[in-house]
Amino acid sequence: MDRNTAKAHIHVMTGCSNTSAWWGFVGMGGWMSRAGLALTLALLAPAPVFAGDDPATGATVAMQPGSSGRPACAACHSADGAGQADVGIPRLAGLHASYIADQLGHFATGVRANAIMAPYAASLSADERRAVAEYFAALPIPAPVDPIPEPVAKLDRGMALFQRGDARTGLIACTQCHGPNGVGVGSFTPRLAGQSGPYIAEQLHRWRAGDIRDPRGAYMRAIAARLSPADIEAVAAYAAGLKTGETIENTAGGKP
Amino acid sequence: MRFMQVAATACAVSALAVAGLAAETAWFPRAAGATETPAPFTPPAEDAIPAGKFGDEVRLGEQIFREPGEHAAAYVGNDLRCSNCHLDAGRLAGSAPMWAAYISYPAYRSKNGHVNSFQERLQGCFRYSMNGKVPPLGDPVLVALESYSFFLAKGLPTGEKPAGRGFPALPKPALAPDYARGAQVYAENCAACHGADGLGQSADGKVVFPPLWGPRSFNWGAGMGSIKNAAEFIHANMPLGMGGTLTPQQSWDVATYIDSQVRPQDPRFTGDVAETRAKFHDNPNSMYGRTVDGAVLGDPKVTPPAGTVPASKAEHK
Repeated sequence: MDRNTAKAHIHVMTGCSNTSAWWGFVGMGGWMSRAGLALTLALLAPAPVFAGDDPATGATVAMQPGSSGRPACAACHSADGAGQADVGIPRLAGLHASYIADQLGHFATGVRANAIMAPYAASLSADERRAVAEYFAALPIPAPVDPIPEPVAKLDRGMALFQRGDARTGLIACTQCHGPNGVGVGSFTPRLAGQSGPYIAEQLHRWRAGDIRDPRGAYMRAIAARLSPADIEAVAAYAAGLKTGETIENTAGGKP
Repeated sequence: MRFMQVAATACAVSALAVAGLAAETAWFPRAAGATETPAPFTPPAEDAIPAGKFGDEVRLGEQIFREPGEHAAAYVGNDLRCSNCHLDAGRLAGSAPMWAAYISYPAYRSKNGHVNSFQERLQGCFRYSMNGKVPPLGDPVLVALESYSFFLAKGLPTGEKPAGRGFPALPKPALAPDYARGAQVYAENCAACHGADGLGQSADGKVVFPPLWGPRSFNWGAGMGSIKNAAEFIHANMPLGMGGTLTPQQSWDVATYIDSQVRPQDPRFTGDVAETRAKFHDNPNSMYGRTVDGAVLGDPKVTPPAGTVPASKAEHK
């Protein structure tokens, strides 16, 4: 996928308001064909039966369409929570439950503006958002897909920014908040290792443009302001290629 | 202003980016809250470390600086890294950069009443900030750290006070620094990373956000135990990546809160808290010996010990 096409996909996914209609059209075609296929498969599958309490509620939200017309989360984010990395649909499996629930809440209230996610999140109760967040958080992290091939120089630049930051601009390293190799730290910072590169890049572009996105977005806005557009693409590509392996337990010394 | 030379072009570059034109060259936006100061010294780039024995020593020094618990385990008694307070691994102006420290020694220090060599100054870091054991003068750990600092200071004149040295001076607060207000500042701006209990956070077995107090933080003899030092550091550098966003008053208040918590004993403890305060903490910037929340700070009954290097690590240096 070339860069512009990828961008178009992402803009559609995130509902970025300044995207041109042309980009939106191109992206919608590419994205809808995939999502539509997945959605169709999800609808055709026999309704699964779940035992238990909270996990079943979360699984139901994740795997079955809602009465409001909401598609199953898995239609786009995949049944294993892997997302669709190449078109910027983020992986949910293994993210912290509080992080996912917070973001769903932000989508629902519009704090995090996203035309795709807003109606879906708003159709869920707070309990349902919490339950589905816990469902995806508990899924094992899927084996990483082969990342989009990138030039070595770009990945080297991405690695330098990710692991060390850039003293010339006062940029801190990603690892200083997102943990060693970007595994994420508790509910505060999400895992970046193996996340969709186009998704990470789009978030950084939005922060750089001044978007706050969520109450802690002020941190990321300050950081993204120190990144050039090329640096954003480089650091996102590097993070996407980080191997995630099996689930790594985070330990929070501090209580929330 | 640190990024003044490029701030004027930032808007133009942004406009180009929005227009879809590639802006491949890095541009340097204004640092939030940056103040008008002379341009600080720029240490040599990392790839300027020379090949050969000396370069090896410099690289080892940087490794120790970034991960002292791994590369200087025999001397480290807590979960801190040098680079937690000396940001950008000792490169960042306004965060006690090592290039400015290197050219400031030998120097007389009132803390111990004599002229200290640079290595002796480094010993103090291990004794207090790292709550560890003092490496002997000439120890490979000190030689490596000295080599790294020497490398960073290339081209700086000795004995001067370069811009960016130490922490930027902070005006005295309008109101007397207050513990309760500081607790509020902490909850709103610091607790997400360092934890409401101040004990920091780890991921994948590594400390990511350092503990600010408690048994795995710096001890009562450390420079950061001074409210003034902590306030200056916090105002210039915290929250990480957003230095200058807290007001001076907030910085003084939260520094007072952090430096009023339980932390390991001062290694110079005489056996009596009041006497130790009189000898080493007789100034308004230290809370040692003061009563907070009904407990006397430094009281051995509630104070973790000084110098907590595990015996296993001390043996296998």
